Amino acid sequence: MRTTNGVQVPPPASERARLALALAMGKAAGTAAQALKLGGGTSVSGAVARRIDPEILQKVAAASNASKVAVTGSNGKTTTCRMIAAMGDVSGLRVLQNRAGSNLLQGVISAAVRGTDLHGRLDAQLLVLEVDEGWVGRVNAAVQPDVFVITNIFRDQLDRFGELYSMARSLEKAIEALPPSSTVVLNADDPLVASLAPDAPARRVYFGIQSDVSNDSDAPTPEHSADTIRCVRCQHPLTYKAVHMSHLGEYWCPECGAERPHLDVAVTTALPLAQGQGFEVTIDTPAGTFPLQVPLPGVHNLYNAAAALACAQSVPTQSMPAQPMPAQPMPAQPMPGQPRPDDARRALAGLRPAFGRLEAIHADGREVVLAFVKNPTSYNTSLRTVLQGPGRRGQPRMHLLAAHSHTVVDGQDFAWLWDVDLEQLVPRLASLTISGNRAEEVALRFKYAGADPAAMRVVPDRAAALRTALAITPPGETLHIFAGYTPMRELRAVMERHAWVPPFWQE
Amino acid sequence: MASMTVRICHLYPRLLSVAGDRGNLMAIARRCAWRGIGCSVTEAEVGEIPDFTQADLILLHGGQDREMTAAAEDLAAKSGPLREAIEGDAVVLAVCAGYQLLAHSYTPSAGPSIQGLGILDAVTEAGPVRFIGHLGIECSDFGPASSGSSASTGGRRLVGFENHSGRTFLGDGARPLGRVIAGAGNNGEDHTEGARYREVYATYMHGPVLPKNPWFADHLLSRALAHRYQDVEPLAPLADQTEDQAQDAALRLAVRQAPTWRTAATAVSRIVRQPSGRHRVPAGTSR
Repeated sequence: MRTTNGVQVPPPASERARLALALAMGKAAGTAAQALKLGGGTSVSGAVARRIDPEILQKVAAASNASKVAVTGSNGKTTTCRMIAAMGDVSGLRVLQNRAGSNLLQGVISAAVRGTDLHGRLDAQLLVLEVDEGWVGRVNAAVQPDVFVITNIFRDQLDRFGELYSMARSLEKAIEALPPSSTVVLNADDPLVASLAPDAPARRVYFGIQSDVSNDSDAPTPEHSADTIRCVRCQHPLTYKAVHMSHLGEYWCPECGAERPHLDVAVTTALPLAQGQGFEVTIDTPAGTFPLQVPLPGVHNLYNAAAALACAQSVPTQSMPAQPMPAQPMPAQPMPGQPRPDDARRALAGLRPAFGRLEAIHADGREVVLAFVKNPTSYNTSLRTVLQGPGRRGQPRMHLLAAHSHTVVDGQDFAWLWDVDLEQLVPRLASLTISGNRAEEVALRFKYAGADPAAMRVVPDRAAALRTALAITPPGETLHIFAGYTPMRELRAVMERHAWVPPFWQE
Repeated sequence: MASMTVRICHLYPRLLSVAGDRGNLMAIARRCAWRGIGCSVTEAEVGEIPDFTQADLILLHGGQDREMTAAAEDLAAKSGPLREAIEGDAVVLAVCAGYQLLAHSYTPSAGPSIQGLGILDAVTEAGPVRFIGHLGIECSDFGPASSGSSASTGGRRLVGFENHSGRTFLGDGARPLGRVIAGAGNNGEDHTEGARYREVYATYMHGPVLPKNPWFADHLLSRALAHRYQDVEPLAPLADQTEDQAQDAALRLAVRQAPTWRTAATAVSRIVRQPSGRHRVPAGTSR
């Protein structure tokens, strides 16, 4: 809906008809794709609808009073969105989100198509959009998010984005385009993210992890594959008081004095739960202290939880749509429509891993742990979570299926595999199966990490590789799968056909 | 051979490390270990001046623009002893930004030029197109190929992945590392790729370049051993099936990508000029 002098003017009839046709055809395409088992229809309906009405996203978003959240960053988008949606649910909001990592423009539009009726009315009070870093400028321009979350920036898809800094510049532009009434939620522990667009008009909320939470070293240094380890302002190497993962932690610059911003939303304690199934955490926020259970393993999920809580607290309340949060003393308790501590606890405690995010699957008498890995940080983080999990004690040796393919989504360049610490993994391997259309590349990397080529099973076909890997894994033991996005989806599809997992779009 | 040790100097292992180039060090270290050759590694970051007289093989890898600027400033302080080592036939592998830093200069699209060491007779300027893709070349002056897909064609082949917008042009004092058979190479125009001077081998190939091209790794290793020892016997052959298969697969992908980079580059620049194209390269300059 357009506005003229603040008065909402309905669009002309021809535009309404075009929108209705786009929505109808989009919905039909999505239904047809599911019926024909072409997948979840998670992006085809958006592609069809956009073809008919290129302005569809703007129209649907502008006509809706829903609060709008956009989440981007290299890693953690999907899980953070699930947490935000869960908190919206328990706060009594009707939530709509794009599903299943369909985070390019088509996937975002598909969500809008699915959530609206044929008049373009969005049946939701909270719209949670996971947005690919390369598309966030266009999605934000169309949707005008009330809250914009940036999780982190790691080296990722350099064959697509060129360099880290060009990515950072485009995110900076997206922040600068936000109006003062909106909020940008930033990872304070990531020096590059924390430094983005310091003079932008949007309200800034910083989340992070307090230093003593997971720090056990006197002189912490980021791992070799960390990216932003020099001061963004003056390029001097940063000094860290704590490093929680990659280059994320509490840092300062001994040269120019730049330091991590004050944490508005801070993880202050995190005690591992039994079986390595997550953490009991405390998060301090302007709206009080939240004792939460994060039922997902790995320190990266502490960041995801803090980001989600910071976002949920920044969503405009339903009683005052699109009003900025009061700048003066923050209330010491949540606003109506924002999660109270017990709600937030209930929301997170009920979470299961998103598909392919260390997802545990019962398969033919074996356990499968399916891990989607796409860059050095996500691979190393999953690797450490798996290797350090207390559940590994009974099974000192691991069965592994590693799969990578070049696709539009996964890119062409697999040099980043050489930045993954596979040397830590290889001595623990009981068996190694390698798959994907870049299996040769993966086999080479494992050979130079110390694996014996004669003992590797190189099976490029995904279904055959899964059969091979499961056959080598004795009943009762665990097969770990580390795979890029496309082979992960393909392997999961095989397991869907066996009914070992629900289809990804149903979960 | 068992008593031999190759001494490696890895320059800026943290500063210049973005595209898996540390795999080059892994390749040399493993191929030494498989042959019972010792391998010692010295690392030097900004502000640290290593003893270049003790280095047989020097690694200088790629990085992004901010890191390259920092490295250029620091490299000026290392310039004298590094140059002496190179004139003494120490072996150098320089990749991407490392390549540009050993040449005369890098001229960005805006702002002042970055001065390099001028050891390689070449200049680099920022171009309008970022060359991102597989890069395959044929090298004529390393002897005939003995294995892999290029065994029948004579010249030895290298394959890697390039990601640069700098366009490098060689002067008379440098010769190319090889001739482009797929991809852009130095500048996407003259079919040259990389540069050589004495025992300096400079290239735009990430990938990383050495694991996938074992003959090249072994060439650098044997030249590095010759830098330290006299009468070095030829290196013992290794079982390189995994390496050869990876090289063959990458070469197939390289040849299958756009017919020539000039066509692709023209197409890309057309899209770049139309910001609505979905393949638009994100704004910002870089190498």
